[in-house]
Amino acid sequence: MEIKEYFSLVFSDYTLRTITLGTAILGAICGMLGSFAVLRKQSLLGDAISHAALPGIALAFIITGTKDTNLLLIGALVSGLIGTFWIRGMITKTHLKSDTALGLILSLFFGFGMLLLTYIQKQPNANQAGLDKYLFGQAATLIEKDVTLMAIVTGICLVVLLLFWKEFKILLFDADYTKTLGFNTRFIDILITFFIVLAIVLGLQTVGVVLMSAMLLAPAAAARQWTNKLSVMIVLAAIFGAFSGVFGTAISASQNNLSTGPVIVLVAAVFVLFSFIFSPGRGILFKQIRFWQNRRDLKLQKTLQFMFDIAKTHEDISHPHAIKILNNFQGFTRGSLKKMEEKNWVEVKGQKWSLTQDGYSAAKNLYTQE
Amino acid sequence: MTGTQLEIQLIAAIVAIACAIPGVFLVLRKMALISDAISHSILPGIVIGFFLTEDLNSPWLILLAAVTGVITVVLVEAIQKTGLVKEDTAIGLVFPALFSIGVILIAQKANDVHLDTDAVLLGDLTFASFDRISLGDIDLGPKSLWVMGIILSITIGLLVSFFKELKVSTFDAGLSSALGFSPVVLHYGLMSVSSVTVVGAFDAVGAVLVVALMIAPAATAYLLTSDLKKMIGLSILFGVSAAIIGYWMAHLLDASISGSMTTVLGVIFLMVYLFAPDKGLIAVMYRQKQQRTEVSLLTFLLHLNNHTEESERHINHLNEHINWQRVRSQTVLDLAQKNNMITITDSIVELTSKGKEFTDLALEYIITNKDEKIEHMKDDFFLFRG
Repeated sequence: MEIKEYFSLVFSDYTLRTITLGTAILGAICGMLGSFAVLRKQSLLGDAISHAALPGIALAFIITGTKDTNLLLIGALVSGLIGTFWIRGMITKTHLKSDTALGLILSLFFGFGMLLLTYIQKQPNANQAGLDKYLFGQAATLIEKDVTLMAIVTGICLVVLLLFWKEFKILLFDADYTKTLGFNTRFIDILITFFIVLAIVLGLQTVGVVLMSAMLLAPAAAARQWTNKLSVMIVLAAIFGAFSGVFGTAISASQNNLSTGPVIVLVAAVFVLFSFIFSPGRGILFKQIRFWQNRRDLKLQKTLQFMFDIAKTHEDISHPHAIKILNNFQGFTRGSLKKMEEKNWVEVKGQKWSLTQDGYSAAKNLYTQE
Repeated sequence: MTGTQLEIQLIAAIVAIACAIPGVFLVLRKMALISDAISHSILPGIVIGFFLTEDLNSPWLILLAAVTGVITVVLVEAIQKTGLVKEDTAIGLVFPALFSIGVILIAQKANDVHLDTDAVLLGDLTFASFDRISLGDIDLGPKSLWVMGIILSITIGLLVSFFKELKVSTFDAGLSSALGFSPVVLHYGLMSVSSVTVVGAFDAVGAVLVVALMIAPAATAYLLTSDLKKMIGLSILFGVSAAIIGYWMAHLLDASISGSMTTVLGVIFLMVYLFAPDKGLIAVMYRQKQQRTEVSLLTFLLHLNNHTEESERHINHLNEHINWQRVRSQTVLDLAQKNNMITITDSIVELTSKGKEFTDLALEYIITNKDEKIEHMKDDFFLFRG
């Protein structure tokens, strides 16, 4: 199937529509909440939580014996939350640092989950196959019910976000100040963490445990490059996330044997790469261009300063001098001379240059900025 | 116990030791998550290496994949250096992208070979002892035993020869560069060793569990000791015991060996986390409770010192004035009495001379706010440390 064909089918074909809608909504909610994770320097919390959710899924299956998505996701939510709070406990109560705590929870919970999964696989229970779709995700298994659930959660999340907007914002940028203002920082903190966990759990079915963290981070990291305003960043991240979801689904649907999760992650990575390079304010490209520009300006000013030093020893500042004497001076080029002429700082006649009145006063004000 | 079982346990133990040693330094250098990043992002390296060599245990594959690991580290540092995102975000962006490439490559090209996505996550020790090396007719043992053995000996060799450099650069990077050991060289050395170990262990325990084998023993040991040598020793001990207990638990449950090894590590960590003598959760909570009471005692004594009138020194007054609950007041009173700091006559509390001295010292501490004053006080007045 060609990509073009996909886009013509997406409105008529039930499965494609469901999956596309699902990944788009997922991308949007992840981008929204991921912005908070990135700004709170909790980027890798998402990775830890998504891995920590695995034993919850397995245990929920062992206890209930059903493969009902909602039940499994509740299990994932519970074990994800346990993981989160344990990480927090470790950081506050022991001298283990956050990286160790995250790595521990991530790997230990995941290992336990894998033990349970392999244990389930060996059980004589016909109902067990398919739990491993939570490892890498299988967008194809999304059904309308799942998408509805995602939409509802996204809606609730939006309402809460708007309701607690200023609390979230102030906690994000100045936690101590928030506390002194009398806000219950703990409650706000738990609320936002809860929603991050919720978003991760929702995404498990689609992109899987392993790649979920990228889903959370990448759109937010990309959006961060384009703005310094939280509201704009969140909207942008949601848009980037949704587009990664849609494009990822389109590309993976148009090729055989291409699982959706990794493709979505790669599309999101492309967004990040593009933003890193081309964002006008912070991007590498424009930063480099600005750097070159500044250097050229500096060289120009150095030359002007040098000319000024010569000119001020003469009664007539416009006394012509040979271009040759500039030659052993660093920063001088033919181009810079021409540019100075354009700016009306100097006049060039044959092999001689002379400073103009404009150039003289510009040089005089170079350091004093009068 | 059959020979195969013994061999599997041996491989598991060697993998655990080989992971524990670099793990200690990663944990101490606050780079634990780098191991997570490396273990994921070597996947494309392994896949490409596998296409070229068709052998998961080939040394070329290990080298190629290890290079991918080092590239990850370089990439993370490069992104971080641009200042566009923080370090953790940089890690979180790089490894899923590389891992995705690896997963897609596997799905596209290597669908019907031994390399599948489950093996990537989980590894498989069960079959490790079937792939053997033989010299002529002589059976030299399982291939992965050799691979991991060589990696382990290189690691130990490097550890022994650069122990003091590693120690200095881990705890004081500034001093280390002043002494002429380049922290950069040591950093990349450690990263290379970690990458090689991760790749070697990958086949046996998979991408995520290798992280557990690296971090968990080190973190557990870190809760028990502050001595680097002891920490390395303890992590090796934890790693090996997890390997052996884990093997038998997997045998019992008929489940994945690596998963069960990690679970054992998790249980060991949980136990130590809760019960470690000085740094465990219970010890910390207990200490914090004691400290709270000590501070309350100080407040109480200062209060007594400030007031001469009887109404302020009545026992029942405490509840109202300092806003303590009944139990709390009782604890503080008992403690003060036990230490002979106060006497109570007719429900009126009075400072003893010892209490007065203590209060004066405490005041001095509060005014000067110097730590040495309070350290001295802790020795002179034992409070809980009786």
